[in-house]
Amino acid sequence: MSKLQLITKGILKENPTFVLILGMCPTLGVTSTAINGMGMGVATMAVLIMSNMVISLIKNLIPDKVRIPAFIVVIASFVTIIEMLMKAYVPALYASLGVFIPLIVVNCIILGRAEAFASKNGVVDSALDGIGIGLGFTLSLTVVGSVREILGAGAIFGYSFASDVMPLVFVLAPGGFLALGYLMVLFNKIAKRK
Amino acid sequence: MVLVLFTITAVAALLVGLVNNLTYNTILETELANKAKAKLEVLPAFEGTPTYEEVSCSINDGSLNINITKVMDGNGELVGYAVEAPSITKNGYADRIYLMVGFVESAEGTIINGVKVLSQKETPGLGANMVVAGNSLERSVVGQNPATMVFSVKKDDASGSFDALTGSTISSRAYANAVESAYAGYLWAKYALPKSGDAKSGATKSANEDAMSGATKNTDTESGATLNEDGTSGATLTNEYNEQEPEAQKGEISNE
Repeated sequence: MSKLQLITKGILKENPTFVLILGMCPTLGVTSTAINGMGMGVATMAVLIMSNMVISLIKNLIPDKVRIPAFIVVIASFVTIIEMLMKAYVPALYASLGVFIPLIVVNCIILGRAEAFASKNGVVDSALDGIGIGLGFTLSLTVVGSVREILGAGAIFGYSFASDVMPLVFVLAPGGFLALGYLMVLFNKIAKRK
Repeated sequence: MVLVLFTITAVAALLVGLVNNLTYNTILETELANKAKAKLEVLPAFEGTPTYEEVSCSINDGSLNINITKVMDGNGELVGYAVEAPSITKNGYADRIYLMVGFVESAEGTIINGVKVLSQKETPGLGANMVVAGNSLERSVVGQNPATMVFSVKKDDASGSFDALTGSTISSRAYANAVESAYAGYLWAKYALPKSGDAKSGATKSANEDAMSGATKNTDTESGATLNEDGTSGATLTNEYNEQEPEAQKGEISNE
């Protein structure tokens, strides 16, 4: 598989949200607006790239039986360290992304990629896989967030155009499931036709 | 196997601890700087270097604090009071909400000049909209006289002063509760504290009760004054002044 394919597969063929159906909890939880979806996606991508690289580096040291707890420890420490560093040195960014950071630990995409890819491949490939899957996740969350924000709040990226006439249910949890379901159908229909 | 896992967790714990040590002070400084900035943002602009007089009032045996800062401009004229207060009896969706509320005194009485959310953990896109400038909660408070406000959400109580955020009634209730706490703290600092060097405890105590009853229409003569009408829920604003040595306070606010 070429290096470029490693990146593009995360966006289309192995799109984490619409095809692998991974990380549904943060997907439904934070996509009430487009900017929140994007923020969560970017924060996840940062952790995913780093955890993929570290796990790929230490994969030969870890016995098979304890690999899952070892991966989880690596991921959780990364997330905690990133949260503290952001809070201390980029407080403005933390103010807008802070709520998503602890959620990343429970995101199964990261453990999924550690287990399925990083523990079997080299450092460079693992980093590229992190970028690809991270981009796919970011784009998907931005799309779901945009749809829910447009339908539910009559706004896009905070710019309101029809604020009071839209059904609020799309911003709430039930609307999240509805929007995600229909987007999944649409994505897979288009992807299959190719 | 056990050894490898142990090594990994030990290294991870060490790294996390190290980063925590590195960042702890910077994080505290940022929080303090934010609070200092919020104090000025909730009050009208003024000339010169401000001077502050701070007091705090502890609730629930000291686990919660209302911090009241009297802000004076460069000429020593009173600008207003910036009050940092938590939502005492009502949590938001996730946690307590902390607000900085600015009170100014005008010919028409006390007016809330501005409100800033200091910390909240509400749902992004719903309750977290309370930090957005010009949201419906902020609009229901700013420019109002707190003495005439009813600290509840319109959805629960037709006479309430607060327009809830769309889809976030619980967060809005906590916000209203925090504004109420801030007002109670303001009244406490303004009326209950004695003039510097003049501390006749009897006079102080009755002044405190008057102030509190003005704030909440509820006076409990035994325990000082309850902050909320449902005082049973555990949040009692005790009369800290009579129990505390004056030295323990950060500063003294004189009675105007």
